[in-house]
Amino acid sequence: MANTSTPEPQGHIHPISSLIREANRIFYDMGFTFAEGPLIEDEWHNFDALNVPKDHPARDMQDTFFIKDEAGLVLRTHTSPVQIRYMETQIKKGIQPPYRIIVPGKIFRNEATDMTHEAEFFQIEGLVVEEAATLSTLKGTLSKFLGEAMGGDAEVRFRPSFFPFTEPSIEVDMRLTGPAAPDKLRDKWIEMGGAGMIHPNVLANAGVDAKKYQGFAFGMGLDRIAMLKWGIDDVRLMHSADLRFINQF
Amino acid sequence: MKISKLWLDKFFDAPLPSAEALGEALTFHAFEIDGIEAIGKDSVLDVKVTPNRGHDALSHRGIAKELSAILQIPLAHDPFTNKSDISKKTDAVTVKIDTPLCKRYIAGYIKGVKVGPSPTWLKERLEAIGQRSINNVVDATNFVMFNTGQPLHAFDAAKLGSLNIGVRTAKEGETLTALDAKQYTLTDSMLVITAGNVPVGIAGVKGGMPAAIDEHTTDIVIESANFDGVSVRKTAQALKLRTDASTRFEQGISPELAARGMEGMLEFIQHQIGGTIEGFVDIYPEPQQLAHVSVTIEKVNKILGTQLTGADIANVFTRLGFAYKEEAGVFEVQPPLERLDIKIPEDLIEEVVRIIGYNKIAAIPLPRSTIEPAINTHFYTAEKMREELQAQGYSEVLTSVFADKGERVVLNKVDGVHPYLRESLVPGLTGALAKNKPNKDLLGLAQVKLFEIGTVWKGGTEVVMVGTITEKEKAAEKILIEDAAAASYQNLPLSIATRYQPFSKYPYIVRDIALWTPASAHTEEVQVMIKTLAGELCVKIGLFDTFQKEGRVSLAFRLIFQSFERTLTEEEVNKIMAELSAILGDKGFEIR
Repeated sequence: MANTSTPEPQGHIHPISSLIREANRIFYDMGFTFAEGPLIEDEWHNFDALNVPKDHPARDMQDTFFIKDEAGLVLRTHTSPVQIRYMETQIKKGIQPPYRIIVPGKIFRNEATDMTHEAEFFQIEGLVVEEAATLSTLKGTLSKFLGEAMGGDAEVRFRPSFFPFTEPSIEVDMRLTGPAAPDKLRDKWIEMGGAGMIHPNVLANAGVDAKKYQGFAFGMGLDRIAMLKWGIDDVRLMHSADLRFINQF
Repeated sequence: MKISKLWLDKFFDAPLPSAEALGEALTFHAFEIDGIEAIGKDSVLDVKVTPNRGHDALSHRGIAKELSAILQIPLAHDPFTNKSDISKKTDAVTVKIDTPLCKRYIAGYIKGVKVGPSPTWLKERLEAIGQRSINNVVDATNFVMFNTGQPLHAFDAAKLGSLNIGVRTAKEGETLTALDAKQYTLTDSMLVITAGNVPVGIAGVKGGMPAAIDEHTTDIVIESANFDGVSVRKTAQALKLRTDASTRFEQGISPELAARGMEGMLEFIQHQIGGTIEGFVDIYPEPQQLAHVSVTIEKVNKILGTQLTGADIANVFTRLGFAYKEEAGVFEVQPPLERLDIKIPEDLIEEVVRIIGYNKIAAIPLPRSTIEPAINTHFYTAEKMREELQAQGYSEVLTSVFADKGERVVLNKVDGVHPYLRESLVPGLTGALAKNKPNKDLLGLAQVKLFEIGTVWKGGTEVVMVGTITEKEKAAEKILIEDAAAASYQNLPLSIATRYQPFSKYPYIVRDIALWTPASAHTEEVQVMIKTLAGELCVKIGLFDTFQKEGRVSLAFRLIFQSFERTLTEEEVNKIMAELSAILGDKGFEIR
């Protein structure tokens, strides 16, 4: 009599980790370095250096987590402070542009949570500083990334917007077409994130010669990309630690 | 801001396209539209004016101007060019500004007005955009504000007590009952409007109750002034009193608008309300200077990646009403005074591209990078760790960084719970283990094994830890030590999932069944057959034991029953199992 027990199965990687792995692969092939920064940020990197003025509503209490008894420190509200940190570090090392980085990472917004809102979630930031960084190559870059990450041919559409750290600023929509596009997403315009040409004040604040260099930047929600890609209906599943969710990936 | 289509129509001689077409034009060239609502014969667009355009676009005139530029329909009736004459002076009213935060104050003194209900058209316009009609004078000030973007206020001159108007910092503890009948206690960081040095209004926010317009009012003082945006924002915030006026001042608006507002009001007095115009006082110590911003054709194309000509760019400036000179590829531009947002060349480039249309921007691939991207050793190491743990059967969880204890605390957490930042992954992993243990059978796991790679705050620093927990081993964590030797990323597998399947929130029931099968039977076929026979409440089936004896094979399956709609009862699952056994028996299988 021989009992054959099944071998211990492999574990599963969180879908956000899988997505970051995939994004890094796509962008690495386009020459992007994966950059990181701290989650507790100072207001200079999170706001001032990004051209968010002192009296901008985004700095009001309702959106930002401030750290108690540590004046000037916040939980970063976006991955954009890493733009500044990366450029500062390069300049300090005497390395002038070109720069190409992506910054996948956790960010925080002080708001009530529901199916589409979380206080902690993930964003992917991109930054390119070089002669060839134009609004046109921004469109090309996003189209390539979104097509590869989501499946199908991604057509990218821009709409006017406003962010203090970019000028011009745009909203990015995507439409997936072709046989490789997921059925539920095919032929629909979907909002993906914000982008624009880096405001010269931001370059200057990081120590880059804004007269000589230009660049683009973009930011997208990784939770949102994951939710679209896999049809996930509740953002709170991401931090649920529930294997009924995670083991599907 | 709510924008009425019928209101917009009045700026044009040529007919405007439908509200939907206007919404589309704004969406792709100016602002997002939150919705379009039919109200009576009107259509009202909810336009999300971006913070950089609060200077000029929080008004029907501002939106009309945008549409004129986008759709190339002349703005035939522009209140900024067809002005009424407010040059008549009066000595009966004086104005004294005692703060640099008020750049201009125009007072208009009108006698013998007849306060009464507003005409129907005015009520309809205001009600369409969600405003309540009060009386003809107050409605006129509101109409002018929503028309031009300049907030106005009307005081009952008789109730003011004095016609010596002042603008000054409030005294600490000074009180004022505002038009909402609430008493506000002011601080010395707020500005007040005074009459004979007695507060009669919170500057830029709300007027005072004592000088309110009512049906007995005959003489009025109209205020059209300019207050500092930051000051108004802080005052409105501190008093929790955000008004349509404060919303506009907060953006910072041109002091030139004060004149446009008063001209608009004068037109109402002359044509709708009646009364004798005594005259105006205009205190404007430092008139706004026209801004000059220049940009080259080369720079426009360099930023956009386009081949626009000087004529293309000139066309945009003309459509927007920007004065410009072009010389040797350089555009010297004078934006209109209300366009405070245009300060640097990039601002002009944005105007060019949004009016021409972002759809004219081609998608061009980035050229090959001239430098090798660096390997992020931290990410490399984390990935290696994921791979190793996954191979050992661990699944990756993410738990919240917010905890019940820790070295560092968040000051202002909106939900008030777990305000600390975690100093360890252990509590999160422990909670995650407990949460997943009851689902083991459903998940088909012999043991729950979890890991997390996450940030903790400990010993005064922010550090990334890797933590593990299983049912057999206690939670453990260590600092993720970077592998400095990382030379290139490994080609690790990606998730092969295509679509997430929502899971039931109801409890499940487990039943086992073991049966003898001929040695020739295929296990998979038997499993599929049993799953089908068990019906749709059987959400999962797994083989957990097999053994052979005398040419026969015993297969033991574990069946999981669960519903998406309700909690299943033991009885109904027992019934399913009894039926299953009976059918299998009929098919010749011996149930053990």
